[in-house]
Amino acid sequence: MIKIENFTFYYSDAEKPALEDINLEIQDGEFVLVTGPSGGGKSSLCRCLNGLIPHFYGGKVAGKVEVQGLNVMKHPTKEMATKVGMIFQDPENQLVATDVEREIAFGLENLAFPRNLIAKRMEESLDTLGISGLRYRQVHELSGGEKQKVVIASVLALHPEILILDEPTSELDPKSAEEVLSIVERLNDELGITVVLIEHRLDRVLQHVDRLIVLDQGRVVADGSIRDILNKSYQEITDTGVGMPPIIKLAHELENRGISVNEAPLTVKEGRIMLKGLFQKTPGQLPQCNKKGDNKPVIEVEKLWHVYPGGPAALKNVSLRVNEGEFVAIMGRNASGKTTLVKHFNNLLKPTRGMVAVDGIDTRKATIAELARKVGFVFQNPNDHLFADTIEEEIAFTLKNLGFENGEIRQRVGEILERFKLQEYRKQYPRSLSGGEKQRAALASVLVIQPKILILDEPTRGIEYRLKRELMTFLNKYTSQGNTVILVTHDVETVAEHADRVILLSEGEIVVDGNKRDILSKALLFSPQINRLVQAFDKYGVPDNILTVDELLQTLK
Amino acid sequence: MISFRYKEKGTAIHKLNPFCKLVWVFSIFVLALIFNNPLYLLLLFLSTLPVIIAARVWREWASLMKFALYLCLVIIIINALVSYHGSSVLWQAPCSVPLMGTPVITLEAIFFGVGMSLRLLTIISAFAILTFTIHPDDIMLAMLKMKLPYKSVLVTSLSTRFIPTLIDDVERISDVQRSRGLELDRGKLMQRIKSRMAIIVPLLSNSLDRTVQVAEAMESRAFGSGEKRTFYKEVKLSKLDVPALIFGFLPLALGTFMRWWGQGDYRYYPALEKISLDGFECSMLALLLFLLCMMVSLAFLKKRIELD
Repeated sequence: MIKIENFTFYYSDAEKPALEDINLEIQDGEFVLVTGPSGGGKSSLCRCLNGLIPHFYGGKVAGKVEVQGLNVMKHPTKEMATKVGMIFQDPENQLVATDVEREIAFGLENLAFPRNLIAKRMEESLDTLGISGLRYRQVHELSGGEKQKVVIASVLALHPEILILDEPTSELDPKSAEEVLSIVERLNDELGITVVLIEHRLDRVLQHVDRLIVLDQGRVVADGSIRDILNKSYQEITDTGVGMPPIIKLAHELENRGISVNEAPLTVKEGRIMLKGLFQKTPGQLPQCNKKGDNKPVIEVEKLWHVYPGGPAALKNVSLRVNEGEFVAIMGRNASGKTTLVKHFNNLLKPTRGMVAVDGIDTRKATIAELARKVGFVFQNPNDHLFADTIEEEIAFTLKNLGFENGEIRQRVGEILERFKLQEYRKQYPRSLSGGEKQRAALASVLVIQPKILILDEPTRGIEYRLKRELMTFLNKYTSQGNTVILVTHDVETVAEHADRVILLSEGEIVVDGNKRDILSKALLFSPQINRLVQAFDKYGVPDNILTVDELLQTLK
Repeated sequence: MISFRYKEKGTAIHKLNPFCKLVWVFSIFVLALIFNNPLYLLLLFLSTLPVIIAARVWREWASLMKFALYLCLVIIIINALVSYHGSSVLWQAPCSVPLMGTPVITLEAIFFGVGMSLRLLTIISAFAILTFTIHPDDIMLAMLKMKLPYKSVLVTSLSTRFIPTLIDDVERISDVQRSRGLELDRGKLMQRIKSRMAIIVPLLSNSLDRTVQVAEAMESRAFGSGEKRTFYKEVKLSKLDVPALIFGFLPLALGTFMRWWGQGDYRYYPALEKISLDGFECSMLALLLFLLCMMVSLAFLKKRIELD
């Protein structure tokens, strides 16, 4: 059992508490989901459960944390290791050995377990995770999902009674994320391990958990069983900036329109049951979709092949054309060639065969820097962008590279700081900002050139809902000004809501390319939640290409 | 790109006990230092080749040797330019240069450079066998067996673990900054150093963040919980390894004896000595080579005897 009483924690040199007056009790065998905006205290809460707070991170502490009868303040992390297993966000930073077997043995070796016991535990954890095929592999050869499974196996080998996972899937693609979550669910269900899962994306996990705790500004905003909380505290939770899964949003909107919904639906199936009575009465109108296909082309790709040295072909005979003002989403499995394709658009990669023309320029005849005036490229992690001493310098750096005049640099930097609400930080060190501000700074440092084409590689991975919405609103505005946005992503819901066109890649080839409505609807599991929901109702005349909550609500009117 | 990292290839050489390989390489290393005779050095160098071929790492080895050859070329040129000993003058500068006198290039100086290069190549080739055929963790375990402190060994092994990650980081960050118009190879030296900062700063800061996270993860898995620690895998000597271990040492013993006997010495200056071996010396040298080559045959023998 976990018992937290009147717990308050300040990181050293912080003025505001990271956690304030927390009172919680978590029973053995519970599956608890902790959510909230970033900076709300989620990570701090889980770090105080195995003693990383206060033993690893110093600071001011008041109150008491008791885990399985041990006072965490008195027992350092290494003593808690057999009680509490901890899994972090990035698997890359949790693996310390060079091969899988040694990785799993690491914790057991630290505890000086005899060799035969290590061997036994090793077999158990490999089998529980279903990764015995990986046992002799080198860690650096594994995919992200495989790495995270190895991490879980190595934690599980210590037989913890409680498992704490701090956003374990935010670095993974949807398929691996799904696999990891179902493993966690099984551990809770079959082995009775208490699970505390921290996630800011609710749609994947809600149906699995018993209890939801929402933290904001270091305090518990809501706490209770899932359905209870979704009925009673919907508004409080969305106010903190947490995004609700589409089905739950739909149920809430229906309530608001006076249509009574007994219980918040957690799965698509429950959602269908909820909607059953409604559609029989009111078949609606097909929503319109906007076409932007007739404009001038800005990117033309002809019979593009790309082969990495010593590897198989990453792109095979890809031809496509992207027009001015389009919002294109490039989707597909990991290693399907998405990133390889977009790297050709600003010349980070040159075609092995075939041709890429950007705004009429053959990329083989241009340098990256020349194309940088036309094509902006935003990468996933803002930490890779930021290096200067102040935000101002950071943004000016891009302009200086491209040889802008000092006067113009000053003017443009001023404008962009204002547009991204960064003026107050202009003299600050970019890397010390919060996650959202960093993302804005990285984006500003690219957009200051006012590129006609903006490419974003997985920008929504691991960021919280509020930031995602902010970013997407901005991108929609950007395309409406005649610019082109190309988004590489796995996030179906975001694409359903904001993009115009979807290109689906598989094994280096374009499988489909067209309007998002045609591609994302009726696509079995690939469809967004709401589309999977309405597919069952097409016999009542409900259009089966509805993608979002708003569209569905329109047809219900 | 050919990587200089360990790859499990499962050859007889890979399967050989790390201690045997360590001892054998150590023998080559010492012999390469005590012998001066270029013929001896050449033969030592050649004796590493069967191992490289048997371990199927010749591609990696070749690209390493390409780099080493450049180094040798530099050594030969510099030695020829600064060493004025030797009697066979090939070229003499028309006038004297301040501080250097009148430069001359002699045949002896060039050959001295060649001899030193052979020594260097032999040592690099021998150490290549270690890096290409012993798992880094096994090197770590072997170091522990030699009573090196665990923490320093762990730090070494962690740094090898994170080299691939670091390489990925560099590639990613330089993609980011090049997309922002950064041109790494433009401008004067100072400008170039400055543009490298756009890659180095994020790289170092990211690595710092990484170390904190790695430390957290290690603490959470009971790192440092007691004085004692077990090791799941162990580098153990089986009976089959003993002959290989002995044959690893024998060349060293024989070589030391030969050197003590006065064999294998060579003088480059003032004039190149003529290499002549009497019957006894020839047979001793042949025996030495035989012993060195035994390693490969023993490795194959061991692989055949073992069922795995």
